[in-house]
Amino acid sequence: MELFALEHKRLWRTPRVWICVLLCFIYSVVWGSVMWYQWLGFGTQNDSTDIYDHNFDGYTAIRDWQEQFSQFGDHWTDETLQKIVAAYQSYDIYEKPGIQSMGDWILAYECLHDLYQELADPENQQYQPLILYADTTKLTDFYQRRADLLEFTLEATRQNEGMSEADKQMLLDMNSQIQEPWPYEWTRGWAELSFDWSDLAPYLAIALAFLFSGEWHNSTAPMLHTIKYGWKKLARVKVLSGMAFALELYALIAVGDVAAQLIFLGTSGWDLPIQYVDILAVAPWNMLQAELYKLAFGLIGVFGYAGLVMLMSALVKSNVLALVFSLAFVYVPDVLGRYLPKWLLAVSQYLPLVGSPNDIYGYNIFHIFGKSVWSPWMMITVPGLIGIVCIPLAIRGWSRRERV
Amino acid sequence: MELSIDRLTKHYGHKIAVDRVSATLTPGVYGLLGANGAGKTTLMRMLCAILEPTSGEVRLNGKEVSAMGGAYRDVLGYLPQDFGYYPSYTAAEFLSYIAALKGIPREAAKRRVRELLEMLDLQSVSNKKIKTFSGGMKQRVGIAQSLLNNPQVLILDEPTSGLDPKERIRLRNLLSEYAADKIVLLSTHIVSDVEAIADEVLVMNAGQFIMHGTVPELAERVRGKVWELTVPREKARLWQAQVTVANYRHEGDQVALRILSDDKPSEQATPCEPILDDAYLYYFGAKEA
Repeated sequence: MELFALEHKRLWRTPRVWICVLLCFIYSVVWGSVMWYQWLGFGTQNDSTDIYDHNFDGYTAIRDWQEQFSQFGDHWTDETLQKIVAAYQSYDIYEKPGIQSMGDWILAYECLHDLYQELADPENQQYQPLILYADTTKLTDFYQRRADLLEFTLEATRQNEGMSEADKQMLLDMNSQIQEPWPYEWTRGWAELSFDWSDLAPYLAIALAFLFSGEWHNSTAPMLHTIKYGWKKLARVKVLSGMAFALELYALIAVGDVAAQLIFLGTSGWDLPIQYVDILAVAPWNMLQAELYKLAFGLIGVFGYAGLVMLMSALVKSNVLALVFSLAFVYVPDVLGRYLPKWLLAVSQYLPLVGSPNDIYGYNIFHIFGKSVWSPWMMITVPGLIGIVCIPLAIRGWSRRERV
Repeated sequence: MELSIDRLTKHYGHKIAVDRVSATLTPGVYGLLGANGAGKTTLMRMLCAILEPTSGEVRLNGKEVSAMGGAYRDVLGYLPQDFGYYPSYTAAEFLSYIAALKGIPREAAKRRVRELLEMLDLQSVSNKKIKTFSGGMKQRVGIAQSLLNNPQVLILDEPTSGLDPKERIRLRNLLSEYAADKIVLLSTHIVSDVEAIADEVLVMNAGQFIMHGTVPELAERVRGKVWELTVPREKARLWQAQVTVANYRHEGDQVALRILSDDKPSEQATPCEPILDDAYLYYFGAKEA
């Protein structure tokens, strides 16, 4: 335990590490959360063409929108959609630019675009969106239209992408568990919640890539080999302290993000279904469950990525190579995605911090030992398994390298 | 206590770094002398069980050291040639950290760190970061870390490099005192360091021990081969080209040459009392040394 505490302390007191943590906190929490809520994301707008022309009033603006949209009822019915669309048609969106970005414009816009295409006027369509001229009295049968479109989409996927009938049925069964009518209140805040955990990758890589290779860089490796506890125990302690650091960094960012969310958005709307984010999603989850999933996705991704970075650090003697290889795991699939074979690109999404928790809105299904597994479960399992496999490999890799 | 080296060999591909080296070390100071590339560092790393030998073995009191594992490392102190440290650590923090890695209980480590900082004249800078230290001060931190666990076997690779004359004398005294009941093996190519403290000297060349004995014994090997000759300054260069000159000293218009030669180089040459430097130079030749 004392060794762990010492190694952990040594890791944290490296200037490179705390600078990384500080930058990560500023970028993710201060800029990515607090400034987003208060300024760029939810601050009222004077000019919709300038993305930086927001006022620093997100906190009060969010409350105004929550209050304004409560007038449309507490459940999503045809009437709710009609009222929202009618409200948009009554606003002058050019005079009130924030109405698009702040209200439930995207939700209403997508509902109409996806479910009420027959109302579109081909001549009018190129000048203004359907939401601004649709006949609101014809906005009916929302749930039936959604069910039809979902059936159509899944059937198209089955025919074009090889989805089996059983898989399609499994997705429809999931969908059937969604309670209707959906509870409703202003959804925009929840729909905007995003946890891009890949942002943590460079900070984790810079902090952990030197964990083992740094001993060569500092020329301390030969001396460490003569310590009583030996390389293996030291390697275990190093891996443990690296994992602890990764989890601490994750906790710092996750707690910061969630705290900002609670302060700015509050808790209301936690039970809204995730179909407000993607109306054709089939998972019978509410926003809170989706958020917990995204947090778990991040936690496991960070754990797996920390394992990968430490493995790279243990396998090479050069700090630079350890860092480059570590970053390559996250950025190569992203940069070279279009050149990779489709199957390889799909597999790469299961690397830690590479894929997206937004898979919960998708239909990917895997077949493992005869069982159908919904892709999001794989997304939070495979990166964790990669981390678990990397730990003993890193210890072994370091021990073999240590025989100088 | 006995550290025995039995036909220890290390190959790197076709290159032989250490070639069937054998010796038995008992408490005392051993100086390992040799030119760069003679195999000193490779031998020391094998003695520390850092490097696996190609063949042969190292035993401490009859037990194979690589099989002893932690028990051997518990009685071992090692200063690598390129001593590494953590730049953001102070001397005291670094020593405390290494003490913990060596498994020394916290209170005992505190006392030992204080003691070593004082012993190596580092107490006044104990709270300064090592990265701000001079080369000699860093080297003293390295020596201190090797002594933390009061090792029975102390192996120091070039411990005097970077030390000023005062510190070298301090280190020599420290090691002489320390070696009363422990094995100290130090490598250097500074012959005077070995001459001053080594009870025995092992001379390495091309991976082999080419000489082994006490300082007087090794010096004795060149008795009758060391001469002093005083020549005019203009002739000194001629002599240097013809024979091995161990020393060159100006005396007014004349130059006193210390010459290593099997035969009397000149009628005017007078025999000298040999020292270790002479033996080293005689066997390695002026160029290699």
